[in-house]
Amino acid sequence: MRTLLNDRVYSLALTIGLIGLVAALVFPQTFPTFGNLSQVLLNLSIDTIVAVGMMILLISGVFDLSVGSVVAFSGGIAAYVMSTLGWPVAAGVLAGLLSAGLVGLVNGYLIAYQGINPMIQTLAMMGIVRGGALLVSGAVGTRVLPYWFNAISQSKLLGVQMPVWYMLLTVGVFAFLANRTVFFRRYYYIGGNERAADLSGIRVRRMKLWSFVLTSLLAGVAGLLLASRLGTALPTAGRGLELRVITAVILGGASLAGGHGRILGALLGALFMGLVSNVMILSRVTGYWQEIILGLILITVVWADLALRKQTHRLHPRRMLS
Amino acid sequence: MKRIVILLALLAAACELPPRNTATTTALRTADTTLTGAVEEYVMVTTAVTMPMYVNHDQATFRRWGEKRGVRVSILGPADWDVPAQISTIEEVIGTRPSGLLINGTDPALGPVIDKAVAAGIPTVVYDSDIPNSRRHAFLGTDWYQIGKMQGEEMVRLLNGRGKIAYMGILGLTNMEAGFQGLLDVVKKHPGIEVVGKFDDKANVEEATRITSDLLAAHPDLAGLCGFDSNSGPGIALAVQEAGKAGKVKITTVDWEPEHLQLVKAGVIQMLAGQKRELFTWYGAQFLYDMVHQTNRLSGNDARAGLTNVPATVNTGLIRITRENVDEFLNTAPAQ
Repeated sequence: MRTLLNDRVYSLALTIGLIGLVAALVFPQTFPTFGNLSQVLLNLSIDTIVAVGMMILLISGVFDLSVGSVVAFSGGIAAYVMSTLGWPVAAGVLAGLLSAGLVGLVNGYLIAYQGINPMIQTLAMMGIVRGGALLVSGAVGTRVLPYWFNAISQSKLLGVQMPVWYMLLTVGVFAFLANRTVFFRRYYYIGGNERAADLSGIRVRRMKLWSFVLTSLLAGVAGLLLASRLGTALPTAGRGLELRVITAVILGGASLAGGHGRILGALLGALFMGLVSNVMILSRVTGYWQEIILGLILITVVWADLALRKQTHRLHPRRMLS
Repeated sequence: MKRIVILLALLAAACELPPRNTATTTALRTADTTLTGAVEEYVMVTTAVTMPMYVNHDQATFRRWGEKRGVRVSILGPADWDVPAQISTIEEVIGTRPSGLLINGTDPALGPVIDKAVAAGIPTVVYDSDIPNSRRHAFLGTDWYQIGKMQGEEMVRLLNGRGKIAYMGILGLTNMEAGFQGLLDVVKKHPGIEVVGKFDDKANVEEATRITSDLLAAHPDLAGLCGFDSNSGPGIALAVQEAGKAGKVKITTVDWEPEHLQLVKAGVIQMLAGQKRELFTWYGAQFLYDMVHQTNRLSGNDARAGLTNVPATVNTGLIRITRENVDEFLNTAPAQ
């Protein structure tokens, strides 16, 4: 049992289950309904898709602060291509993804090959890309998007809006890849000991470059889905998203030091935050308290996890080493 | 492979596409008051819920209204300026079926979710900025174009139609962009006025100060600055004071928090274009109450007749505050 609790994925899943149970008892009319729960999943879908990329980055020991701006930028580029240039939806989607990928390529190259600190590089990129989003959206956002672009997110499958399915698909695919492919397993080695990974023949620089490209692409996908869901490309979209996503990923078991984390943890971290936020809305807790409570929860979860690990280490030193 | 293709085809067939009719009509639906909850509760949803201007004016008045009426009021929304998070909050609130929804119209992207609330039979009033692409029952607020126009006219008067000016606010917000346009439409009629730039101060005093300092260094002959968010004025004023140009560089800005009023009194800011924010939420909440209680029934059955028994649009107007009348506002005790 202690071993299970030591795994953040299990302890978080248990906590989520408990929160859900208590919320269902306290708010029997409003919480355990199909409408409310599908809404919760829809609201966390965009963050979760970005969180999958951020989890891979944090496993390798780095993070990206520009993802929130990329969300606004990719949506803005796609909207510009479709609404202003009048090109087809596919061209808009492709342009949005290419622009996001390009941001990741620049980030990855400057960090991996030129040695710029990831925090400084992505912080600078956050401002540059946000400015780009404002420029491309003409400061007021592109208001009218084509019907078929909006249908990407506004359609429903089994009564649930599509971004939820895209989120589940993204988590499923990347969880499989992270568990089963050598390529993704290498990120754990890089995060655990970059020098040792390098000496063992892993092309660390190239791997880092791809991780930034992948994260930016996922942020680009999230940006397209958000613009499609809202039916408009907001230049202010994604503000503060980077910190929410990093919080979710840390909650989900990642460590800023690298080497730890599972893709499923990204989903559970975001689900935990989404559930807490939903319960606070149902309880009519104001925005002031929501920020305080989420901050306290993050500290408590990480502290409890650390305490549990220390205790396990004392009782079973070998298990910890393995 | 064949199985996958069949599965994908089945999934595609099971997809339910969104309706093609986008909500571009301003036609109103009447609230179905039978759906309101057992406890009479009115919910305000805004973004940047902790912004002092919202807290001191909109939220304080809304709470006071709730106390006077003896009904429950709740205020929800993200702490930061995050329109998608405001939309998510509204979507989650709709499921709890409040008696009425008072929504800060921060962006036209709110249109579909407002329509969702109206379709759910919840009386829905928008305040501050209108969401014309929605089916909201009523709107109360300021015409932001007029805010820009008022600032432009004042600046032209203060500078006698000659000089360099710059303006700042939160770029990308629909209401502020309308304000910027109002300003530009006035100054373009005066060729002696040169606009040196439009800047994003991110609703941040430090950023507004930094931008102003840079502008004063780059343009020593800068004659005027216009601010469009609550923190623009104090930031601009600080940089102008530090440069020793208080009173020489003319400043107009929005809102009338105590620090704005003190700066007008000190002669650093020349004019404030103030909004009557208290009226937004007091009457907005009252409109919701009147819809729920059918206070002014206009027909045998307003819902069936397709009527809304409150005004569709209310322009609450502007307050012009200068050194001449600032004492009246400094001495104003909060409403009880």
